[in-house]
Parts: sequence; C-alpha cells; structure tokens
Amino acid sequence: MRLLSLVGVSKSYGAVQALRGVSLDVRGAEVHALMGENGAGKSTLIRILSGLERPDSGQLLLDAAPLVLQSPQQAQASGLRVLHQELHVVPGLSVAENMHLHRRFPRRLGLVDWRGLNAAARVALDRLGLDHIDPRLPMGRLPTGDRMLCRIAATLVGADVPWLLILDEPTAALTPPESARLFSVIAEMKTQGAGILYVSHRMAEVMHLADRISVLRDGALVSSRPRNEASEQQLIEDMTGRPPRDLFPTRRKTVPAPPVLRVRGLRSSVLQGIDLDLVPGEVLGLAGLAGSGRGHLLRALIGAVPRSGDFNLAGKPLPASPQRAWAAGMAYIPRERRAEGLMLRRPITETVTLPHLRALGGWLIKRRAERTFMAWTGARVRLKAAGPHVPAAALSGGNQQKLLFARAIGANPKVLLLDDPTRGVDVGARADLYQLIRDLAEAGTAVLLVSSDLPELIGLSDRIAIVQGGRITQVLDADGLTEASLLAQTYKGTP
Amino acid sequence: MTFLRRFGSLAGMAGILIFFAAMRPETFPTLGNWLNISQQVSMLLVVAVTMTVVMAMGDFDLSVGAMASLAGIVCAVALVNGVAIPGAIALALVAGLFGGLLNGALVSLAGLLPFVATLATMTIFSGLAFILSGGRTISGADIPAAFGDFARGGWVIAMDGDRALRLPPLTLVAVAVTVLAWMVLEQTSYGRRLYAIGGNAEAARLAGVPVASLRLSAFAITGLGAAVAGLMYAGRVASANPVQGDGLMLSAIAAVFLGQSLTESGQPRVMATVAGVVVLGALDNGLTQMRVDSYVREVLVGVIILLAVGVSALARRAGRGHH
Repeated sequence: MRLLSLVGVSKSYGAVQALRGVSLDVRGAEVHALMGENGAGKSTLIRILSGLERPDSGQLLLDAAPLVLQSPQQAQASGLRVLHQELHVVPGLSVAENMHLHRRFPRRLGLVDWRGLNAAARVALDRLGLDHIDPRLPMGRLPTGDRMLCRIAATLVGADVPWLLILDEPTAALTPPESARLFSVIAEMKTQGAGILYVSHRMAEVMHLADRISVLRDGALVSSRPRNEASEQQLIEDMTGRPPRDLFPTRRKTVPAPPVLRVRGLRSSVLQGIDLDLVPGEVLGLAGLAGSGRGHLLRALIGAVPRSGDFNLAGKPLPASPQRAWAAGMAYIPRERRAEGLMLRRPITETVTLPHLRALGGWLIKRRAERTFMAWTGARVRLKAAGPHVPAAALSGGNQQKLLFARAIGANPKVLLLDDPTRGVDVGARADLYQLIRDLAEAGTAVLLVSSDLPELIGLSDRIAIVQGGRITQVLDADGLTEASLLAQTYKGTP
Repeated sequence: MTFLRRFGSLAGMAGILIFFAAMRPETFPTLGNWLNISQQVSMLLVVAVTMTVVMAMGDFDLSVGAMASLAGIVCAVALVNGVAIPGAIALALVAGLFGGLLNGALVSLAGLLPFVATLATMTIFSGLAFILSGGRTISGADIPAAFGDFARGGWVIAMDGDRALRLPPLTLVAVAVTVLAWMVLEQTSYGRRLYAIGGNAEAARLAGVPVASLRLSAFAITGLGAAVAGLMYAGRVASANPVQGDGLMLSAIAAVFLGQSLTESGQPRVMATVAGVVVLGALDNGLTQMRVDSYVREVLVGVIILLAVGVSALARRAGRGHH
C-alpha cells in the first residue's frame, strides 16, 4: 500500500506561522480525516500537497523516497489530486467534456472522437456506481452534488489515476442525500485502493467516514488517532483548546426593554419561518453550519433577497429593500468583504458615506461634510489609512473591514447586522472591532452577529440562537457556554 | 513609472497639439480655427459626456449614434407635417428619452448585458429612422428656415481682418450640456451612487443604493443626450437623413476611453471626456490641414487611441504589481 509522509513540515507567510513542524502519514485504502478550525493550517497543508506551495522546512516522502512538489503537474504525476471546495466546472459543456478538461480529448482522424469521449466518461462514472448520470448532459443541468461526484469520477479517466484524493470540505454545498451518495463513492474509491485525505469540520461525517482522524490547531498537529480511539468530545477539545477569551470586553446585562426589531414568520427560499426579537443593546449571536441559513437570515433582514413575513423596526413596518432598511436605521456588513462590501478602486470616503449621502448633503455632494464624517467615523473604528482619498484596495484586510464598520456605524444604527465580521482580520484589528461592537451595544444598538469563530460568538454575544435548516431551533444564554457545548448543540440532529 | 501613469497620456495629447501648432502655425493655433473645431466637435461632446454617465456605472450604450439619427428624423418629419419648431424639438427629445428608458429597462429590469441590449436597440432605432424618413434625406423647402438659422447664428467675439469670428451657438449648447453632466455626475449624490455602482454593483445594492432605478435613469440621460446631438446635427445642416448621427457612437466611446486614460484611477470623468473629445477634434482638424488622406487619418486616430489607452493600462498594471 502506498504511503505519503509529511516530516516536520513548516510554512510561514510573513509573520504568520501557518504550519509548525507537522508530521503525518497518509496511506492508500484509508480515509484520513483532517480537522481544525479556520486558520488552523488545513488550507496551507492542502496547498503544499497540491504543489502550489513549498514547505519552508521539513520534507515529503512518498513510499519512503523524498518527494519534491514544484508544481500542480508534479503533484498530479505523483498521484496526488486535490478537489477544492469551489466547484470548478464549465456549466455549458457536457459532463464528458468537463471530465476531460485537463487532458487531451480522444481523437479519430484528427477530430474529436465524441463517441470515445462519452464512452470513457461512462466507464469512469460506472466504476463509482454513478449510473444515474448521463455524460452527454450539460454540466449545468446537474445538481451540485452530482457535479462533485463527476469531478471525482474525472480523476479516474485516463492513465494517471491518482492514488490519493484530497477532498476539501466536499459536503459544504451538498444536501444530505447528496452527501450520502458522496460517502458511498468515497467508500468505493477506498475499496479500489485509493487513499482519501478528507478535510472537514463536520464532526458527524468525519466520525462516520474516517479510519484515522488528525487535528491541526494554530499550525501544529495536536492529535492523530484511529477513529475507534477518538471521541467527539476529545476532538472538539483538540480543535478549540485555546487560551481563555480575554480578547473580549466584559459585557453588561442588557436591561429588559421592548424589542427594537420584531420578526414573525420570516420565510424565504432558505428560511422556514423565523421569529426573532431583538432588544436594544443586546448582541444576539447566530450559530449554525454553513448552509444552515444564518447568513441568509441577515440578507433577508436587510431586504437583499425576496422574503415574506412580519417585520417591525422600532414600531414601524420594515420595508423589503436595502435602501429603505438603511434609511430606517439598519446597517449591514456582508460576509464577502471584497465582493459585497467595498468599491476597491474608489476613494475610501466614498465607500463610507455611500448610505449617508442624503443625510450629509441632500441632493448635492457636500465635500466638507463628507470629510468631517469620514474623520469622525474613521477615528471611532481606529482606521489606519494614508488619507481620505486612497482607494480601498490599498488598505490591509483589517483596515478594509474597519472601513465597512465605519460605514455601518456612521448613522448610529438601531440594528447592526454582522456576517462573520472578523474573517481574515488580524488579532490587533480584531480586538478593536470587538471593543467597538460592545461599545455600540452599550450605546443601545442591537447587534445580530453571525460568526463561524466560536470563541468570538460566545465572547461577544448575550444570547446565541442555533440555526438549523432555515429555522432557529433553540436560543441559549451565552454566559457559561463552552465551545464544546455550543458545537454539540450546533451538530445536534444533523446527519 | 508613476509619472508616466499619471501624466503620460496628458503629455502625449499636449504633444499632438504642439505638433500641429508647429506644422501649421498660420492656421492651426488660431482663434478662428478653434471656434471651428468647437463647432465640429459639439455634437460629439454632447454624446460623449452623456455617455460618460452610463460609463460611470461600468455600462455603455451602443445605440447613441442611431438615436441621434432617429431624433433628427423625428424632428424633420414633424416639421414637414406642420408641427411648430418647439413641438418638433420636444418630440425628438421625447424619442430620445423613451429610447434611453428602453435601454435602461432592458439592462436593469430584464438583466440583459448592455452590449446586447443596446446593440439590438441600435438596429431598431436605425430601422425606425429609415421607416420614418422613407430612406430619404429630408431637407430644403420642407424645413423652416428658422430651424437652421439657430445653428448658423452666433455672437461676434473678435475680428480676424474683416472676417467676423462668431461663437457658434452649437458650441454653447455643448458647453451647457457638459456643465450639466459634470454637475449631475460629480456634484450630486445621484452621480456618486452611479460611480458606486461602477465600483461594485452588488456592494452598492447591499449598502442601500437603488441600483435598478439608477441604471434606468442613467440610460435615459444618455438617450436624451443622443437626441440633443441629433437635433444639433439636423440644425447645423438644416436637413436630416437616417444615418447622419451613426458615426457618433464609436467616437464617443473612444473619447471616454481617451479621457479615462488621463485620470489617476482610470475611471470615466466628465472633464477627462472633454479632453478626449478635444483631442479627437484637433486630430481630425490638424490632419486635414496637413492634407493627410482621410483613410490614413482613420488609421492614425485608431493607433493613437490604442497607444493612449494601452500605455495607461500597462502602466496601471505595472503599478499594481508593486503592491
């Protein structure tokens, strides 16, 4: 059986130590799960195994012989294949064409041999028992789960069939039945001798699939044990066992008050009837897995997706458009900073004043008022920028996020919606943002916080609502809650 | 490199003007010639600055030339049928407004790409112009003399020997439209929101910018501008034919691109567009004075646009590489 060993592999990016002397064995015919929180070093490890990065120190051994991966092509030639989270498919081409994208199409007389192409795809699909997929269909017509399965089947086309398949959060976008089919395909690959490195933080599927489970934390390998010696409790501790949450300002008890935001029966394409009461000055955390609907709930509240239900903000009906929601005293910081938040090439002042133009100058642009506003909000969020006219693209990630905070708090919102507000933000800026969120709450703003960072969620929130399948299944008091118990609640009832 | 990025295009454009002034010192750098150029480019200026409004959103409008032709035809046909001059002008402007709203609706409500939507409306407007005019030039006795007189009038501002130099009314119209476009785009919240859409439409929407209605209105402004240019054209030649505005579209887009190469961030600005228009007008005028064959002229103008836009794009990419 083939064996890939990592021996003391380290990698740093600037001042950030992404991997610290990781030693790990990955075997053929074995499902090896790799777990860890965001930023634990999983992605760096994957990048090294796909030939995109080289370790600063340490080495790789393939069947005890040194292995140097300088390029993705070399990784592929060594039998390693990474399937990334994002589905890179061409929707307009057929399944068979997609499965041949990375190699020459079969030819006859110099022209594409379409029959041969489809037949090769058929054989690969059949080897994994995927006889329900027609290789001639356009990829875009297949459901997401089948697209993932086609990409796995594509690795079986041609001569260089990989012996190790690296799957990065493969179920992130899949429905439970689709995931189940993926698991049976993984089992089939394993019986055919392939090793699987399965990167996930979904406890249930890891416990179901894996033969061996390794945990990374802060770039170091914390544990690596056979599944039958692992317990969920132990794994969660391995993943989260980090110093206490002194990053977080102390919270004061919120005073009982009539809710500023009252939502009844919120439904959308994802949400299945959500009731919500938000009191001034409280931070309500939303916990849930990716795809549970927690981020979608924020988009529905700001009015960016079609929705139905009863909405009431400070005693008035809340209209379903972002424009009116901002005007009514709501502010929103979206999850994808660059794609959904910033105008990267415009001066930072324009990003900050955009929702407040009417209040600042009416119809006309009042540049002096804009400058004052920028200076004032910039100081509140401790923004570091070379001047009010530099483009947002010139700022660091943390300062870009502060820019969005400056915009959101500019009009002293009644309700602030935050979707993973510290993603990719360094620790220093994080502390500033945590203090800011607490200060806003003290001043009476109600905050709805989505975060995939559990310490952050527990450290900032007064209450935490668990979102599952588009519903709020329960609301917990954040005081005294541990990461382990919150994680257990989040996973409860999922397959 | 920073200097080249910031001022390369500007220096190139100044170089072109200096070159012509040196080659034809008697005729090129004179007040009379520049008044002439200002009248020649006035239609283009109106189309280009209103095109800048949609280009601020990152969109563009291919139908402006056809709309200019159509507006001229609408006005002329109305005049022929006995409509008074103000009524005929109003009809042409309404045609421009509705054409622009149609473009805006196709882009913002139906979600078509601006290229596809305005390519289709371009042929529609052009076809309508042919249908309304019967494919003929409408001119002569059918057009009231007063209609053409406006464009031919003007205020004497200087004497060149015994020749009176007049400030052309069309130049004044173009300047007025330019000032208006500059106000709207760069001094109002409305214009700022258009730039925000151009910067990142989804981010603008999530920050409370009503993207769909702004798109709609911006295309309406561009349509209206095209109609104004069509009327100016018809007034200047006291006639209308169904293709006379068609050339404006490519020149207007070229002018905005030339202007963009002047701005620091490479974004469309009204005053930069004005510079683009002036350069295109001066090129045309100067090359004609140097008796350069008109086909060669077209090649040269194309090359210069490529140089200006290409150099600034390359410089900007090199600048980004340092970050």
